[in-house]
Amino acid sequence: MNTQWMKTDVLVIGGGTAGTMAGIKAKQANPDLNVLILEKANIRRSGAIAMGMDGVNTAVIPGNSTPEQYVREITISNDGIVDQKAVYQTGKLGYEVIQELESWGVKFQKDAQGNYDLKQVHRVGKYVLPMPEGKDLKQILTRQVKRHKVNVTNRVMATRVMVKDGRAIGAIGFDVRSGDYIIIQANAVILSTGACGRLGLPASGYLYGTYENPTNAGDGYSMAYHAGAELRNIECFQINPLMKDYNGPACAYVASPFGAYTANAEGNRFISCDYWSGQMMLEVWKELNSGNGPVQLKMTHLDETTIAEIERILWANERPSRGRFHEGRGEDYRTAGVEMDISEIGLCSGHSASGVWVNEKAETTIPGLYAAGDMASVPHNYMIGAFVFGRIAGQEAVEYLKGLTYLEPDPEFIELERQRIYAPLAQPGGIPHTQVEYKLRRLVNDYLQPPKVSHKMEIALKKFTQYHESLSLMGAQDPHELMRCMEVHFIRDCAEMAARASLFRRESRWGLYHYNVDYPEKNNDEWFCHVNLKMNESGEMILFKRPVEPYIVDVNIETEVYDVAVR
Amino acid sequence: MVIAVNNDTELAEWLQMLRSLDLNDRLVAVKNLQLLGDDGSLAGLIEALNDESVMVQKLAVTAIWELANPTAVDPLLECLDSPEVEIRSEALAALGELVNSDHLLKLLDMLHREDVNMQLNILILLRKIHDVQSLPYVLPFFESQLPELREAAVTTLRYLNQVVRCQPAIALLTDPVNFVRQAAALTMGHLTDDEVVPKLSQALISDPDWQVRRDAARSLDIHNDASSIPSLEKALGDEHWQVRKSATQALQKLPDPKVIPALIKALTDEYSNVRKEVAIALGNIGSTDAISALQQALDDPDREVSIQSQRAINKISNSMVKNV
Amino acid sequence: MALTIQRVDVPVIVDESKCLEKCVACIEVCPLDVLVKNPETGKAYMKYDECWFCLPCEKECPTGAITVQIPFLLR
Repeated sequence: MNTQWMKTDVLVIGGGTAGTMAGIKAKQANPDLNVLILEKANIRRSGAIAMGMDGVNTAVIPGNSTPEQYVREITISNDGIVDQKAVYQTGKLGYEVIQELESWGVKFQKDAQGNYDLKQVHRVGKYVLPMPEGKDLKQILTRQVKRHKVNVTNRVMATRVMVKDGRAIGAIGFDVRSGDYIIIQANAVILSTGACGRLGLPASGYLYGTYENPTNAGDGYSMAYHAGAELRNIECFQINPLMKDYNGPACAYVASPFGAYTANAEGNRFISCDYWSGQMMLEVWKELNSGNGPVQLKMTHLDETTIAEIERILWANERPSRGRFHEGRGEDYRTAGVEMDISEIGLCSGHSASGVWVNEKAETTIPGLYAAGDMASVPHNYMIGAFVFGRIAGQEAVEYLKGLTYLEPDPEFIELERQRIYAPLAQPGGIPHTQVEYKLRRLVNDYLQPPKVSHKMEIALKKFTQYHESLSLMGAQDPHELMRCMEVHFIRDCAEMAARASLFRRESRWGLYHYNVDYPEKNNDEWFCHVNLKMNESGEMILFKRPVEPYIVDVNIETEVYDVAVR
Repeated sequence: MVIAVNNDTELAEWLQMLRSLDLNDRLVAVKNLQLLGDDGSLAGLIEALNDESVMVQKLAVTAIWELANPTAVDPLLECLDSPEVEIRSEALAALGELVNSDHLLKLLDMLHREDVNMQLNILILLRKIHDVQSLPYVLPFFESQLPELREAAVTTLRYLNQVVRCQPAIALLTDPVNFVRQAAALTMGHLTDDEVVPKLSQALISDPDWQVRRDAARSLDIHNDASSIPSLEKALGDEHWQVRKSATQALQKLPDPKVIPALIKALTDEYSNVRKEVAIALGNIGSTDAISALQQALDDPDREVSIQSQRAINKISNSMVKNV
Repeated sequence: MALTIQRVDVPVIVDESKCLEKCVACIEVCPLDVLVKNPETGKAYMKYDECWFCLPCEKECPTGAITVQIPFLLR
């Protein structure tokens, strides 16, 4: 196992939506800098948008909406707990991002007059812009990464960010094919590793049948945590309404502009809008438990041309194997609704709110460390927000590192991490990562799946803290299995964070995402705040409240309550 | 791989392999050039468009597409009449990204080629350029023997923003082929000839194809002309729910108390999507005559209908208060 | 600890008659890095049952040698 050293000015960890944009923007800001994207797969097909995306969900287009309206809608749908300045960035810069993407060849749907063909899926406002030809998104981004001469290292997974003198100085990882130990020195580090999509166990029992790209195992959440950065809103889980078993979107965002809608088994609507939120999921959960289920995405009332068009979009973009899934079951949108179910839990700020604490400049609480995309806590950011924060992170990183020189990492830190990473290879006859992971994620389901119960979560916490023992029993027979073993470590960290944060917030908020039966009401007097967590000097996970930043857009959280079920 | 690969030697290797006599080698080469994404491969890829194997040709088109280099436009245009449908559609998609107003004259020139596929694809590409200069070249296709070309031409008309009147397009509203009539109906939403609204109103109640009737309603929605109200009211009783829905949506912007009885009847439509639109329309008219029916709709099994009914009731009450 | 080897039905099927020895496209693009070449035959196969059934392998294969099935547990 060789050790390789690399040096770069800006290090971007994760070459997905946010990461590719961060790399491009850093180079645009200063073409003379070395910018490196580190990717554990291949940037051409990595991350959540490996097969493109069928639309953007947070497009604030002048003439159709304003950033202020957008911030207001996101604030209300997140029960008031948002950093409005950060959310405002997505509202403000999204349009420029869309225009730049268009100049690169990305096709957004337009009407015959050439206007963006926005659709309403949110309760208020039109922010959804379809991309029926969005399958090539990653190729287009890859092309721009190349054109801007961003360096790319594929098949290397980062495991720890290095911090010295209070600032981020690089990262450590390993090559998932050769197994080489890689140490990268940088003067600014951007974490963009996506969501924690392998937290809960899917109902199918298949470890990789997740909603998110399963490679998004919470790497960045864990790395930020171990670097000493703060995370927030971890108790605001991601729980999505998905096709049962397949675990992909059905997809209401695409189909509802065509006239489809989410309905109960009778074919009747029970929610007023299909926009994903904890409140909506709570209504879905209630409907399922009332005997009116299963819930379905109903398209049977639509005509042939429309259904064929929906099929074309859904079966070419984002999760193209949807088509063969239905075919294999003999299901047809024309004759039956798509059966939906409540997904396993995850952590994702793209759809929910949990992630690394960032301000409106994508800065984390560690100087020189930035976060962007699903892992950066900017609620409901989706893809546009990932692009926006990737862009901000790239630009800010370049500004920040002016005049900085490399700091040498601590040799003891490097050695300890080396031992930690390679331990499973030293015991190839150890328990396979598959079993260790399955059990961990099953425990997550058993004890953390909402409705949350404090006693159960306390049991979970004990089990997750004891789980270090099980981790130490893992064996790996090659670098690939080593990658999986390290991912289980990340998952365990996220599980512990999820349990602690959920126990800490003693109220219910965000619908099903943090529905706590021991404290079933929302309590703004005591809990109108963020719950933050971080690692202290002794290596313990500590939690504390942080006030919500003063609003820049007026919203009365007492009277403007997000509700999708009432008249 | 951590070690940086020497791009130039790799590029040269694949370009060389692209000329191999072995088909498998050429397939591997073109695939790798696609993954490499190096602009230096463009010339080699353009040559590969004429490879004897369709598989190589198709990969070459995709690779050229991914390079998104403007010099590829001309060779890609030549692919639009390929006998292989996959080549044509891939090239069309690539050109959709690359063509701009600089290519207008070239496109108009290629419209003269005798090949149907070429003509069809050029008509589609002209939509990207939105330029009225295309009009005289597009018009002759309204009289083509082939319905596909008639349909493409009248659809392209819709994208020529500066065109506001076009008599020949109106004639296509009575074309023998339904999908041509549909396209004409939609395009007429953007034309302002005097005959447009009356002709659309006529099509709304008498065309045998429900999609044409629906598209006529959509276009009448855009025109927002009170003279279409009688036809729209009649369309509330159309046999197809999507026509009823689109007619209702048009009536939402043409509030007329005379239509209330027909709307109240539609408030019990079999389809919730229609009932929902009806509630909105009744709210917009603002008359208390609708209140009792709307109150019954509050109990609709579909949540969306009951929400819209409540909003309509509120709207009517508020406007009554204002009028007092 | 005691280990055993167990058979598992995997989602990715490679038609070896179409798989080209010199090509590694599917291997290069897989987000989960589960495809490898059999060193003896030069043909690709799925080594680990860790599939997101995302389809880049199928779409990128220049000869159409790859078919992705929905994993059995979800099919």
